[in-house]
Amino acid sequence: MSSQTQYITQGKSIEKRVVQLLYERNKKAIELIFEHYGAVLLNIILRVVKDRSIAQDTLQEALLKIWKKGQSYKAEHGSLFTWLTAICRNAAIDKTKTKDFKLTEKSNASPDLVSISEAVAQEEQTDQQYVRQLIDQLPPVQRKLIDLAYFQGYTQQEIAECLDMPLGTVKTRIRLAIKHLRSII
Amino acid sequence: MNLKEYIESGVLESYLMGELSEEEMKEVDRIVVEHSIVREELEKIRANLNVYAAATGKQPGEEVLQKVFSALNDESKAVQSPAFQAQTLRHKVHKFPTWRVAATVLLLISLIFNLYFFYELEDSKEQIESLVSDRIALSERAESTARELDLAELRIAHFLNEDNIHVRMDGSDISPQSFANVFWNKRTNAVFISVDNLPEPPHGHQYQLWAIKPGQPPIDAGIFDHNDRVQKLKVIRGQVEAFAVTLEKLGGTQNATVEKTYVKGFLQKS
Repeated sequence: MSSQTQYITQGKSIEKRVVQLLYERNKKAIELIFEHYGAVLLNIILRVVKDRSIAQDTLQEALLKIWKKGQSYKAEHGSLFTWLTAICRNAAIDKTKTKDFKLTEKSNASPDLVSISEAVAQEEQTDQQYVRQLIDQLPPVQRKLIDLAYFQGYTQQEIAECLDMPLGTVKTRIRLAIKHLRSII
Repeated sequence: MNLKEYIESGVLESYLMGELSEEEMKEVDRIVVEHSIVREELEKIRANLNVYAAATGKQPGEEVLQKVFSALNDESKAVQSPAFQAQTLRHKVHKFPTWRVAATVLLLISLIFNLYFFYELEDSKEQIESLVSDRIALSERAESTARELDLAELRIAHFLNEDNIHVRMDGSDISPQSFANVFWNKRTNAVFISVDNLPEPPHGHQYQLWAIKPGQPPIDAGIFDHNDRVQKLKVIRGQVEAFAVTLEKLGGTQNATVEKTYVKGFLQKS
């Protein structure tokens, strides 16, 4: 089973599975959240804290909160992802209020957009090397848009400013980049 | 709602990006619940992003998950140890059951009250003793006062008795401060002495009253106790010129020791 199929087939029931496991106080729930929502949640945290290392620490704290609050999740109030997002956002906002964060923020006052966007992952697994080759087919601008919007914590407004594009164009291009991604993997 | 347009609007991409507010996300959630086609689209986008993240190393580091599990394990250990403490505590409680604690407390309270009442009782006893002794003293004083009053009344009666001849005896040279009075009843010839101020006689001695007639040695009118203020002594008849008190040996004497005359008084010549 390819990574894509695995994510998609499990995706349909993943929310129900996680909720069930949370109610059962099964730690597998945290593992599934990390696996299926970890990347997007990290991005949501990164939008607030602006530093990957701090964002990872915050995600860790947020996952502990999710575990503690697990049984208080109610589907009628919204989806699991909305609930997870709220916890992560709050954890990120809390993080920005800490002394350590304020010190780090000073030293990272001017993040280098280009160097961040060009960070390349290391030690890729073999089956992902294939996917990586597929992704490499994406035009560099589309890759950069996906990276900035989904993995580097940039808001659409920030991307518009950095890439000197109108906000509407940014939205459309991100949508197209995702569509393109889906067509090749 | 045109679902195709909704999907094409890019709202689902924004949703996963964290671009939407919580309220806007819940709005998407409502549509997702109602329309499976939207839900499938959303899941596909998320899955594609995960594939992309996994292939490009954009996923959060595995150490995040490891730290979470390590924290959860520490927590479960920490949860265990209070349980042990609670067990130990319960064990201790078994050693000293509540009723024993309660009994001890009650015993202590009881002891405190006992001590308190004991001292109260002692105080009361002392008070009673003191009251009794006060009462005795008062009663003695009352008795003594009553006796004094009787004597005073008796003396007044002797003074007022028209049958009585009153003789005041004043202190002699050996006891100038002393004085005493004699009442001599003309009708019965009885002699009464009122001991007013005579010094305490030395051990083995007492006072004796003498009637003095002209040209005769003093006639014994009787010995008396100097503590009794008014006493009836002997009957004396005849021509008495004066009365005098001498200090004599206990039991008195027939012959007055004139040099030990303490008081002496002459009858007024009518």
